[in-house]
Amino acid sequence: MAVLSNPRLIGELEKYGAEHVVKCYHCGNCSATCPFSREPFLFPRKSMRYLQMGLEEKLKGNLEPWLCYYCGECSEQCPREAEPGETMMSMRRWLTAQYDFTGISRLFYQSWQLEVLALLLVAALTGLGFWLYGTTHGSLAIYDGPGAFLPASAVHVFDWAMAGLLAGLLAVNCARMWWFTLGREQGMRVPLGAYLRHLWLLPVHFLTQKRYRECERKRPWAIHLALMLSYLTMLVLIMFFLEDMQRGPGISWSVHVLGYLASLGLVATAVYALRGRLLRRETHYKYSHETDWIFLILLLYVALTGVAQHVLHRLGLPLEANLLYLAHLMGVVPMLVLEVPFSKWAHLAYRPLGMYFSCLQAEALRARAPAGAGQPVAHNV
Amino acid sequence: MSEPLRIGIYFCWKGTAPAECLNLSAVATYVAGLPGVCRVQDLGSRPNPDPHFWSQEIRRQRLNRLVLAGDSPGFFKPTFSTAMRQAGGDPTEVRLASFREHGATQGEGTERAKAVTACAVLGVPYGLAAVPQSTTVHPDTLVIGGGVAGIQVALEIADAGNKVILVERSGTIGGHMAMFDKTFPTLDCAACILTPKMVSVGQHENISLWTLAELESVGGRPGAWTVKIRRKARYVDIEACVSCHACEEVCPVQVDSEFDSGISKRKAVYLPFPQAVPNAYIIDAEHCTRLLSGGTKCGACLKKCLKEAIHFDEEDQLTELEVGNIVVATGYDVFDAGRMERYGYGILPNVLTALEFERLTNAAGPTGGRIVLKSLKLNKRSKQEEWVFDPEGESPGSVAIIHCVGSRDHNYNPYCSRVCCMYSLKFAHLVKEKLPEARVYEYYIDMRTFGKGYEQFFERIKDEGVFVVRGRSAKVGTQDGRMIIKGEDMLSDHMLEFPVDMVLLAVGMESAAGTGELAACLGIRRDEDGWFRELDYNIDPTGTERGGVYMAGACQGPKDIPDTVAQASAVAARVLRSIVSGCGRESRDTLPLAEIEARARALAGVS
Repeated sequence: MAVLSNPRLIGELEKYGAEHVVKCYHCGNCSATCPFSREPFLFPRKSMRYLQMGLEEKLKGNLEPWLCYYCGECSEQCPREAEPGETMMSMRRWLTAQYDFTGISRLFYQSWQLEVLALLLVAALTGLGFWLYGTTHGSLAIYDGPGAFLPASAVHVFDWAMAGLLAGLLAVNCARMWWFTLGREQGMRVPLGAYLRHLWLLPVHFLTQKRYRECERKRPWAIHLALMLSYLTMLVLIMFFLEDMQRGPGISWSVHVLGYLASLGLVATAVYALRGRLLRRETHYKYSHETDWIFLILLLYVALTGVAQHVLHRLGLPLEANLLYLAHLMGVVPMLVLEVPFSKWAHLAYRPLGMYFSCLQAEALRARAPAGAGQPVAHNV
Repeated sequence: MSEPLRIGIYFCWKGTAPAECLNLSAVATYVAGLPGVCRVQDLGSRPNPDPHFWSQEIRRQRLNRLVLAGDSPGFFKPTFSTAMRQAGGDPTEVRLASFREHGATQGEGTERAKAVTACAVLGVPYGLAAVPQSTTVHPDTLVIGGGVAGIQVALEIADAGNKVILVERSGTIGGHMAMFDKTFPTLDCAACILTPKMVSVGQHENISLWTLAELESVGGRPGAWTVKIRRKARYVDIEACVSCHACEEVCPVQVDSEFDSGISKRKAVYLPFPQAVPNAYIIDAEHCTRLLSGGTKCGACLKKCLKEAIHFDEEDQLTELEVGNIVVATGYDVFDAGRMERYGYGILPNVLTALEFERLTNAAGPTGGRIVLKSLKLNKRSKQEEWVFDPEGESPGSVAIIHCVGSRDHNYNPYCSRVCCMYSLKFAHLVKEKLPEARVYEYYIDMRTFGKGYEQFFERIKDEGVFVVRGRSAKVGTQDGRMIIKGEDMLSDHMLEFPVDMVLLAVGMESAAGTGELAACLGIRRDEDGWFRELDYNIDPTGTERGGVYMAGACQGPKDIPDTVAQASAVAARVLRSIVSGCGRESRDTLPLAEIEARARALAGVS
């Protein structure tokens, strides 16, 4: 059966950042360099070919972009300056848009102005909502305890509601990812047992990103892990210990020390990444999509306002603390609402899933292929 | 003509600004005085691309001919042709004055730009108007470079009865071809073809062969060049030396042999190879103990030479002579494989470049043509262990050949070196011929077997059982002391990883060292890749900007032997034409502007 080609695909991917893919002449240097490019997933060259040929459906079911951690070695060695690393990054953006059933992701990736507008809108709604709630239920001059402007209990309920909504949206997108990569293809059917057997991959890859560590350069992995763990720590603190976090003005060391560490991690990694993207010295920072900037700026804003409201509260300035808390929420809510299901942050789910699904795909391929296939054969003439 | 011409001249630049050597206001003032010119304007870098805007301008000025002048005005032609059509004019009346194409961005930029623009204004092709004057030609010819190209040119001209001075930088003629083992695709012995020609050059009564010589300066005019040539001291009398080896045997200095591409040693007094022409020893001034010490130490060879051919007091000579034509045949250098660290050249002992393998497999090479691996041997002199080729060494069980090393790569040389695919296939054949049990892997990107009989040769290699892998190998790794070659075989969609004993790097060609100085000395141009630029790619690939200066072989661009020889013969024909007729042509850049304009006016029928 012939495969349908979409001649406009390459132009579409350009908006996601894949500007140099046409230069590729398929020497295979990138695939041979990449430490992750192993049977049966040889990338990035083959993915670049799918893109050049406009094989949209093939690309949609392609997990290889999620197996790439963008160490940049392929791009540095590429004899054509076709930027295979950045092409894989662009494909991840495009795949995020494909998995998203609402179509919002596509709009955001293709127009940063729209994304900024949406961010501002959600921020305004968040601000308005909390302002109305705070002024009707409490006083702007009280930070915690009875009559607080934004009492931990109320924010807590809101957090859980938002988490449920976002998890729901993301779950649907993940299901679509499964459908494109494993579900819809006859040849990719694997028994349920295989799904269970490999399930451990999900938490392992989510928490350690151990594959990233296999890149020859370790620093990007360390930075990324620090960012992820800081974020995770903060998430746990906010979702389960918000009450303790907000209580003051004394410092409750058991929770706050973790909060400090996490804040430090978030600010440091965000500043590091922003600096890297501005200097453009490292290959993986050479090209920046608008969504990369938006994500990093938001992250830094949220971390700094979070720290500031905490400090102001400890300094005995509840009014200022409350205002900054509001500003913090006006950053964190739009960031989570828009980034997690629809933009860059969705990779927190897609990446571990990519590892997991790729294992299943490999198993399906092995089951299909005749024995011994895929093994380099010792040649005797 | 039905209506009088109203011409608009627009200067527009694809780059940022007009070249520095160009005085744009002088050009503008000059062309404004030409008949019919109503408007002269500098639009700067990348003008408004909207044809509608320009069609209004054309209507307003009532223009019926546009001249776009600039570095690459063809880039903007579509905009202005459309504008002309929209304005109701003739779109073919958009004329181009391309400064880059006609070399108006270098040297005498302003005068050339005036001439090029004037021709476009008058509607006459520049090439038709700027026909160089003819000059009388001195019958002697200077050939620079003694490789196969230079040899061919020299023999063709000398056989026709004219004097040739062949100048060669090294101590012998022969060039790279003399180092090769076999030629492709015929598998002829390269030395068997070349050495008789070399001997003919050495013995030809019409050829003065000057080795260890370099062009110092060029003066005069086309057809009557005065060239100054520096002949470096050889310290050995060519006439007296009988190549008896006595000096070599006692010489205590050992250095890498250039002719064997560094895989064997030679002495400081040496004969590059047994068939060298002239067949006389050379003393290497850079390594000879006596010369380095200022004549106080060593001198062992001096005592041994029965013919008294060695003269340490010899000095460089500067010779000035007059020639009519100059042929540049300076060839190429091979890409330095050490620049691509990932292939391990210089680190892993059995990673070889193409030239090293040519010498290894050659019957006159250090192993007598046996293909062996390097073995660790104690160097008695330095008391250190070294990797050397030992004729008794172990044969490789598997050989990988990596194509496109340094070629087709934007990090190194972007162009295709043309010969590497074919010589790599030749290597595969040579390995298979000598070691039928060995496994040979060719890692290629695209197989370029473009010449006569080349594709058949490729078929033959495949029949011989060579594994041809379509994919470039990214690096030469090591595992348990063996080299591992990993590459993606796109045709089978598998990542192949093979342990190999020997890796051959198909290094590409680069313009030879000193090309820039020679170009400056002769006043000829180079292209962006460093090769000499031909006057016209299609119809004058051997000519240069300067009259009476031609080029042959790989100095114009990567070329294999048949193409080089063909081009060399073509050059000889052009030189002979000028000698026989007694007149050649002047350089284009000496043509006075007034003359070009007068000719263009005459051709255009404008007074």
